[in-house]
Amino acid sequence: MLILARKPGESIAIDSNIKIRVLEIKGGLVKLGVEAPNHVAVHREEVYQRILEQNRKAALEAPIDMLALTSALQNSLAGHSALPDKSQQATSPGQDKDQK
Amino acid sequence: MITMNTEPIRLQQAAATPPSKDHTTMKFMTSRFGTLEVDAGKIITFVQPLLGFPESIRFILHPHGPESPCIWLQSLDDPNLAFVAIHPALILASYEPEIALHVKAELKTDSDNELDVLVILTIPRDNPTAVTANLLGPIVINVNKRLAKQILLDPLKHDCCWPIGSKAA
Repeated sequence: MLILARKPGESIAIDSNIKIRVLEIKGGLVKLGVEAPNHVAVHREEVYQRILEQNRKAALEAPIDMLALTSALQNSLAGHSALPDKSQQATSPGQDKDQK
Repeated sequence: MITMNTEPIRLQQAAATPPSKDHTTMKFMTSRFGTLEVDAGKIITFVQPLLGFPESIRFILHPHGPESPCIWLQSLDDPNLAFVAIHPALILASYEPEIALHVKAELKTDSDNELDVLVILTIPRDNPTAVTANLLGPIVINVNKRLAKQILLDPLKHDCCWPIGSKAA
């Protein structure tokens, strides 16, 4: 890992188009300003971590028993305003074609 | 009469339509569905792999079943990897993730009409009723060009484990 010491107001440059500046250091908290092109995603690392862990969990726990899931979902979705009623839910996607 | 949002139908139809004769079909082994014969034109390519799964780029949408509002997102690069996804409009009408311009550029479109959004569900095996939806990291798909990307939204506004059925995000 590259380690650089910086004072408030100083920055580091990554490539020619990314700049990270130390804005303020106060009470154990460092405020950083990041200048980067739009296509460069900048997030707190925990956010990446959270998504990564959630993805892993979702993949790991994806059910084998589809029937149990379907009924569980229909129960938890029941009454939700955005959801069609039971009879509409029971229509298979393939059967909707002619009605569009 | 179908009154629900047509968006999920669009994707689910795409998944349910049998392979057409215009495209070559390819065979993939999957642990859940056995050998899948996949229309090459229906393969969804992630422009950036899902976080945590750098090996899986190609996926296919596989219908969950006629009774289910869900859809399988099955990896074609890892036979064991599959997610259960759902169109967010079915679970939370107010959910409208903002899709940044650079994401649209990556997915090679400048039109929202070409884009569709799915969210991944986490279904605890021991308690399937405690299902949650990942609203923080939705998957944006260019339906026509079959390109996809998982985007990261503002963690202050969206939850990665939103319990389905709860009223607010």
